[in-house]
Amino acid sequence: MKLTGLRALVVVMSVVALLSVVGLGANLESIASNEIVPEISAAAGMALADSYAATMTEADLEALAVNGRTIGLRTAASEALAIQYRDKTEDEIMAILKGTADPMIRAAAIGPAVVYLASVTSDAEDFKLTDYLKDIAINGETHEMKLAAAKAYYFVSRRSLKAADLEEQAVTNDSDELAYAAGEVLAGFYLSFNPKTQAELEDLAINGSSEGLRVAGEIALSSLLIKSDLTALDFETTLLSIAGTKSAEYRGAYKIALANRYEQ
Amino acid sequence: MKKTVLVLLGLLLAFSALAFGQGYATMPADAKIIPLGEAGTPYADAQLGVRGGTFYCATISDPKKWNDVTAHETSTTDYTGLMLRGLVTTNPVTVALEPELAKSWDVSEDGLTITFHLRQGLKWSDGEPFTADDVIFSYNDLYLNEDVETDTRDVLQLPDGSFPVVTKVDDYTVQVTTSVVFRPILNSMAANILPKHALAKYVHKLNPDVPVGTFNSCWGLDTDPSELVGMGPFIVESYAPDQNVVMRRNPYYYHYDSNGVQLPYFDKRVVLTVPNQDVSLLKFRNGELDATGIRPTDVPILKSEEAQKDFTVLVNPDLPNYGTSWIGINEDIGLAEGTHDNERALFRTRDFRAALAHLVDKQAIIDTLYNGLAVPQWSPVSYLSPFYAGRDYYGGPVTEKDAVIFDYSLDKAAALLDGIGIVDRDGDGWRDYEDGTRVEIEINTNAGNTLREGVCLIVADRAAKVGLKLNFVPVDFNTLVNKLFASTGELIVLGLTGGPEPNNGANVYRSTGGLHFWHYSAADNPTELEKKIDALLDAGVSTLDNDKAFEIYKEYQITLAKDDLGLVYTVNPSFTYAYYNRVGNANIASPVATPTGNNGLTMDICYFK
Repeated sequence: MKLTGLRALVVVMSVVALLSVVGLGANLESIASNEIVPEISAAAGMALADSYAATMTEADLEALAVNGRTIGLRTAASEALAIQYRDKTEDEIMAILKGTADPMIRAAAIGPAVVYLASVTSDAEDFKLTDYLKDIAINGETHEMKLAAAKAYYFVSRRSLKAADLEEQAVTNDSDELAYAAGEVLAGFYLSFNPKTQAELEDLAINGSSEGLRVAGEIALSSLLIKSDLTALDFETTLLSIAGTKSAEYRGAYKIALANRYEQ
Repeated sequence: MKKTVLVLLGLLLAFSALAFGQGYATMPADAKIIPLGEAGTPYADAQLGVRGGTFYCATISDPKKWNDVTAHETSTTDYTGLMLRGLVTTNPVTVALEPELAKSWDVSEDGLTITFHLRQGLKWSDGEPFTADDVIFSYNDLYLNEDVETDTRDVLQLPDGSFPVVTKVDDYTVQVTTSVVFRPILNSMAANILPKHALAKYVHKLNPDVPVGTFNSCWGLDTDPSELVGMGPFIVESYAPDQNVVMRRNPYYYHYDSNGVQLPYFDKRVVLTVPNQDVSLLKFRNGELDATGIRPTDVPILKSEEAQKDFTVLVNPDLPNYGTSWIGINEDIGLAEGTHDNERALFRTRDFRAALAHLVDKQAIIDTLYNGLAVPQWSPVSYLSPFYAGRDYYGGPVTEKDAVIFDYSLDKAAALLDGIGIVDRDGDGWRDYEDGTRVEIEINTNAGNTLREGVCLIVADRAAKVGLKLNFVPVDFNTLVNKLFASTGELIVLGLTGGPEPNNGANVYRSTGGLHFWHYSAADNPTELEKKIDALLDAGVSTLDNDKAFEIYKEYQITLAKDDLGLVYTVNPSFTYAYYNRVGNANIASPVATPTGNNGLTMDICYFK
């Protein structure tokens, strides 16, 4: 099927505009500041996180995470905050997760929260960490709180996990966040004990019957792409050509791989 | 005037360097050169590195002291093992014995005297010279001093109960004389050498002003780290309880790379104290640790992040960890009580034990319980040992050409059972003794150990296919150990730790050994086979020639695996490790040595790219 008329013109103009940005000499901030292809913008943002974490204040990052005019700038700020938040106390992290801050700020607290949540102990006789985490993953105050608990739940349960179980749990689970987290871990099985080909992972990322399965495909596919010989230009070209199509997870795989190339 | 200023400045700098122990002015002539990247050496796969940076790793327990001599726990020796060195060491790649503080040694014709030639021109971390006096002090005034509470004295004891005599020949020559030839004595010379100038004051024998036993409490955690002195790559710089230990590079370490760059490459090494292994793994995922040990079951959760976060999940499915995993068959069942005559006779029949060996479906265990990350085991000696009989020669490549393999085979198991008269006599599908009683055997392991429980279930399932009834009953660990030592268990699934020295298993495989738990009665009445094994153990320690010892231990392993079968081996988990790709030379990590300092060895050749 060929592109026709106005749509074709828009795509060509976008390609020209974008290639002028991503061409030789363009820096990451320029790329992150351009949202023609959101995934390319976000990839640049991911690659900027380390330098932003080292050079910007927490307050400036929080402001940028909320008000940055492109997804790339907001991503850079959010991921930089995640690095800075590692030094926060458990109470501070939980307050962010449960509070009314912007989702981009709450997202930054997920990684540090997983460390705290996975380390919870209790003197109560019938305390089971997995039950505790699952309860939060279902009933937590915010999406980010539930997601952090879901990630912690699957981390703590990792030794008893099998791919077959995760494939079910990535589809049907007690919360969307648990299904998502199951998909993340499932990706690791597809890269180790239950390997899938790149074609299978692409199909999963595009056509997986649930977000959890598509996330499994996304993460595993991104790993294969990173390990390939494909260049940043290859990934950019692909993202240009699939802009707004396929699935968010399939585009996400290329976004992650592109971020890796930008960081090198 | 300008020239005077420059001269004064130069003198000031030189003085500063001396005052703060800045290291050797030039590489000592007797430095130990590590041939990184050189073909034909154990380090062929390593790279020359660059100096700099702070390496971060984690542990789950704080040290208990800085006193290596009196330490009983790895939480202490993980640090003291980095601060100190012995006359010899085991190569971190090949595990073979090699020179360390001694640059060479000669063995007398009768094998009773070893003369060690020490490296000359070396200094302790505080700049004091290292000499034979330190070696004599370490052995005669510490390890062999009964006032000092040390486990090392046990490994120095000779078969006749005596101890080696250590004497100084000159400032750089030490002789060790034994009453009998005892090959492992060379291994024992890996015991760390301590600084006489820093520690003699605590030893009553040398300083009567201090009470007997003072040394046992010196170099505790309250010691100012500036007092700690060693010859190893790192020295403790600071310690924060429940938080971390910071170690700095020893400016007088005598290992150099082939470019003449002094090792270690890292400036500092920080070990964070974490509450458990889960937190350690989480910190690794967050980039707060540069490397960490992992279990096979951690592999998937790390694999999903490996590429994105630029670390490596090192999985070597063909390289097992040290140790053995087995099914113990109790040949003394009911002996003391006068019961279980049928079982005891059955367990003492070699062909029954061989039948059981054929019922261990190792591949199923590896695939279903370890996700492929385990290695079949057949020998009592660890795969990594240079004496492992799967090697072609001492320290040689593993080809398994002489391996004793009992393949999983229901037919072979059935034929062996048929051959010893264990057949189904009443048509109920289960095999019986000759008197018609059904053969029904209990197989135990420690409850909650899901891997061992899985092994029991698989073996019981396969046994049922040939009509042999095994009843799996998990029990708590203390009960299991009691069954083992009281000879009341029937079949027990468990494991033992291991190391490179076969003689360290003598307490298990010798007929009089304290851990010869499957046949304790052999102490008074060994079988001909057990006498042969005892003789092989004696022969193995009676030669200082490792190649000859290898042949002896090969026969020992084959005899145990093929004819004795007191323990039927199963599988050993594969080595797994994780490190960020910024750490150079971490790729040659193995169960012997890792950047995080496993087994007291460290890869002081690691660096930041």
